[in-house]
Amino acid sequence: MSSAKFLIRLAALLGLTFLVGCGVSTVTIEGSFPTPNISKLPLNVAVYYDQSLRDFAYMEYSETGAEEFNVQSGQSHIALFNAVLPAMFDGVVVIDSLDDAVAAEVDAVFTPLIEEFQLALPTKTKLDVYEVWIKYNMRLATAEGDYIADWVLTSYGKTPTETFRSTEAAINDAAVVALRDLASSFSLSFAQVPEVRDWLAQL
Amino acid sequence: MIEFINQWHGRTVRGVLLAALAALAGCTSTTVDEFRQGETGITSDEAVVILGRRQASDYETRSEFVQCVGDRMARGEGAINVVPEQEFVDAMFPWFEPRTAPLRTRDLEQLMAENVVAEKMSEFGIRYIVWLDGFTETTDRQGSISCTIGPGGGGCFGFGTWEDDANFDARVWDVGSLTNVGTINTDATGQSYLPALVVPIPLIARVEANACSRLATQLKDFVNGS
Repeated sequence: MSSAKFLIRLAALLGLTFLVGCGVSTVTIEGSFPTPNISKLPLNVAVYYDQSLRDFAYMEYSETGAEEFNVQSGQSHIALFNAVLPAMFDGVVVIDSLDDAVAAEVDAVFTPLIEEFQLALPTKTKLDVYEVWIKYNMRLATAEGDYIADWVLTSYGKTPTETFRSTEAAINDAAVVALRDLASSFSLSFAQVPEVRDWLAQL
Repeated sequence: MIEFINQWHGRTVRGVLLAALAALAGCTSTTVDEFRQGETGITSDEAVVILGRRQASDYETRSEFVQCVGDRMARGEGAINVVPEQEFVDAMFPWFEPRTAPLRTRDLEQLMAENVVAEKMSEFGIRYIVWLDGFTETTDRQGSISCTIGPGGGGCFGFGTWEDDANFDARVWDVGSLTNVGTINTDATGQSYLPALVVPIPLIARVEANACSRLATQLKDFVNGS
């Protein structure tokens, strides 16, 4: 191979390496979520996962404004609720549309939504931890669509920096801790939400 | 003859330098303080679970350190049955998450009033819960190392040093009496060196490993009541 061709290939390789280094990194949150050990409520509940929850993704930008990390957590949220809800209620059914609730003959329809997602990286906070903070809007309605309760829940997760762990893996670990935090606070506080408590008392 | 003296002199200097560096690398001092508040003892069908505290905002007790202490308590003379942290936390979910874990023995008393929690504790045979809280901090970084690479080869030259300080508290809760039976504090410090003469030679003070070893030994004796 001539030296000119070699130099061209080397330049192309270096260029590609540079471009890969500059591209956005996608992190799809993956984790396993244990079933909560709590007493079940004698309710049949339908859960509706809105498309915005199913496709939820958060983009973290660098200090120069470039896209840095695309954190996709929609499917992990669904996996979490699918693990938690059957432990909380006697019957749980997933519905594809809110119109299906009456036919499902359930006591209530639960709709979780993500309102806000924040990511804090050590390079920006100067702390030795990766942090994830998520704000949710939880909605509970009757099968006919009448309001029962609508409340805000926040969850938080962090994980320490480690020498041989990638930023993507650390973001995933912090997000899984945040999802577990959501599961614990949601399952333990559900019956304490004032509107839910009043509704349960009427049943 | 002169060449022989130069060679001998060179070997001696290198030998002394290496011996000095090896001696410096071993410079880790560990202090263990024990405060006993109650009688302890454990039978062969009972177990201990070691859990890391993760409530602080700027640090959290590393799960690797928790596992290290557990592994060391579970082997050797007077070995104790230790339930792995993640297995226990998953089985107890959601009661031992960072937000919901009991911070005081009074909270544990309330938690044990939940039938599911009491049953799981009984299934595992948990007699003691050990809460580990702490972290390792690196301070006093000094020196610099520069590396170069060229067509004829490469190499590094310079000297770096830093100090590590591992400080961990272990609080032992008796699940039977629902009381705090004691606290053990371990503080290990050590100086690490990184001289570089063509090749960097890391002489790392094994601060956290020493803290783990000493804390595990002390905890094992404490739980066994010896």
